Amino acid sequence: MSTSTVDRVAPSTAADNQWAVETHGLTKRFKDNVAVDGVELLVPRGCAFGYLGPNGAGKTTLIRVLLGLTHADSGSMSLLGYPVPQHRDRALARIGAIVDEPRFHGHLSGHQNLQILAAAREPAARTRVDAALERVGMAHRANDKVAKYSMGMRQRLGVAACLLGDPQLLILDEPMNGLDPAGMLDMREMILSLVAEGRTVVLSSHLLDEVERTCDAVAIVDRGKVIRQGSITELLAGSAFELQIDCATPERAGGLLVGTQWGPGVDVGPDGLRVALEPGTGREVVAEVNRLLVEGGVSVYRLQEVHASLESWFLEVTTRLGAPQ
Amino acid sequence: MTTSTLADAPRPEPVALDAGDRTVDHRGSWVPNGAMIATRFMELRRRRGLMVALILVNIGIPAVFLAVRLLAHAFAPHSYGPAGGYDIFTSMVAGVIFIFGFIVAATLGCTAGSVDLTEGMFRHLVVTGRSRLALYLARIPAGLAIIVPLVAIGFTIVCAVCVFAAPTQLSYQGVNVPVGLSHTAFETWAGDHADEVICNFNFNGQMVANVPCGNGPGAGSGIKVAPGGAIPQDTSPDVNRTQAIAMANQDYVDYSGHFLSPSISLMVKSGLWIELYATIGFLVGLGLASLMGQRTVPVILLIVLEIVLTPLLSHSPIAHFVNLQRSLLGLAATHFEPGGLPSVFGGAHNGGVGGVAVTESTLVAVCVLAGWVIVWTALGAWRMVSRDA
Repeated sequence: MSTSTVDRVAPSTAADNQWAVETHGLTKRFKDNVAVDGVELLVPRGCAFGYLGPNGAGKTTLIRVLLGLTHADSGSMSLLGYPVPQHRDRALARIGAIVDEPRFHGHLSGHQNLQILAAAREPAARTRVDAALERVGMAHRANDKVAKYSMGMRQRLGVAACLLGDPQLLILDEPMNGLDPAGMLDMREMILSLVAEGRTVVLSSHLLDEVERTCDAVAIVDRGKVIRQGSITELLAGSAFELQIDCATPERAGGLLVGTQWGPGVDVGPDGLRVALEPGTGREVVAEVNRLLVEGGVSVYRLQEVHASLESWFLEVTTRLGAPQ
Repeated sequence: MTTSTLADAPRPEPVALDAGDRTVDHRGSWVPNGAMIATRFMELRRRRGLMVALILVNIGIPAVFLAVRLLAHAFAPHSYGPAGGYDIFTSMVAGVIFIFGFIVAATLGCTAGSVDLTEGMFRHLVVTGRSRLALYLARIPAGLAIIVPLVAIGFTIVCAVCVFAAPTQLSYQGVNVPVGLSHTAFETWAGDHADEVICNFNFNGQMVANVPCGNGPGAGSGIKVAPGGAIPQDTSPDVNRTQAIAMANQDYVDYSGHFLSPSISLMVKSGLWIELYATIGFLVGLGLASLMGQRTVPVILLIVLEIVLTPLLSHSPIAHFVNLQRSLLGLAATHFEPGGLPSVFGGAHNGGVGGVAVTESTLVAVCVLAGWVIVWTALGAWRMVSRDA
């Protein structure tokens, strides 16, 4: 067993701490493989936070370290202001989590499985079983054996298990797995409603579209390291974008722009003229491009800024920074 | 790493959540609460396949065996003896209930010790923040609440049949003998039934009497004679009586251990002894399965230990390995076997009385039993606490 050298974080900040999750230099190794590599993560309270990364990036390992399912090798962390592992029981009392695929005792009903989990929590949790099942839309199947549940139903049951403790922080690892489109919509709405109640939801997922629709902020993890984190709006604003130009003569328009500072980004394709612009480029540039084309005799019908989606941005940063060294 | 100014980002005002002090539920305590034990009991009890198998082994087999004997005796009483009685009781307890009780208990223990892990619930339970030690300890009373009544029911059935279907006459060495005679009364009875005693009772000594046995008066063959060659003439009734009394005197100790039905004292002691062994079997199975993180291999290991290794190693001391033999769980348990029962594994019990195999003192036997329970419980609990979930 490896000896943990996790630093202590000063306690007594639980109530006022603005971070639901805070880690500094958190590291977890499996022999030579560094699954979590000095992670610095700050998850603000009261938001939906996406935790994104390619397969094998260390997403689930970090969640397991946070929840005490495995030990960290070094670094410090706190959950809801409680330093862990020193006060893990206090922190976990206010946390609900799904890690990996939610699995339960197949010979018991969903209700009975939740009773087992509620028994391990505070006495009030036992009174929340029915409400939790109702909230995730599983009340009508509560007395069926879990062995008969579909994957999506088990996901819902996992979320219901999270709600037993009336948590301030929910950590959901791939909660959309196995859900049909309607189920994904339900799950998204439920996450948003949980956030609206003031809870914090950390959502680990590779479904970038869902994360973009659901989360306020994200962290991108690759090779065990958090390489970007921040609000989605800010992060995408900092990425490159394109100017799509609908005009009468794209070839001629492209020729006019090649000789300018935007020349390297000019691309004339079957769908028209595109000009790649640097991150942070202001709107006045759009007007300048328009003026140049009009003065060059090109009839411009439309100019549109096309910003990168979270997916394209994710692929950009993870393939660039995650490439073999 | 690029980090935007998250701290400055606008966030929704927190809603009043239940942020009460949940430390009052003693979540970090190693002591499990009643609800944890109750739900763990429910989880084990609702394993229908396992429960059916355990009931069949521990209750079904003895019940079917005794039912067949009851029916056979009812339809052909001259061919088949009574279903119950002292001998059946001792055989069933030492030969069936003791071993099957252990196997059933160990199987349940292995199940309780491994299923959370193999079925994915362990992770959910750890995330509740509850002490892992408490999660482990909750399994003990929950499992015992199943195994103790289960063993008790099987044992009660055996006791009931053996008492209520006991023979009305004692057949001692093939002779119907009144039960419960004193030493003097037994000798008097033997003197009055000299021919039967001389012909049937075991005797280790010089035979002075000679009576025809089983082939009619005057027949030479079948005559029980004194060792030494020539067949003597029939001896006088007085000589025969003296011989029978001498034989009865020698056999009394053995006779006094035969009863029509088991005494209440023997049944109570036997029941407690079986429950003790089943409890130990459950705890060992629980610890071993928790340590290994699976059920099948620990169950096989414990069954092999119980029905193969222990009988083999109990039969004779092996030079330089006697102390290792003494550490066998089953052997130590037989040390506390009630007096009237035959030795379970064919070896010695009660400090060597009635057997020739490995012997050990009571202190050693107690230490061995305690050692098995403590070591496996500690190992199982340690693995539960240290395991990655």
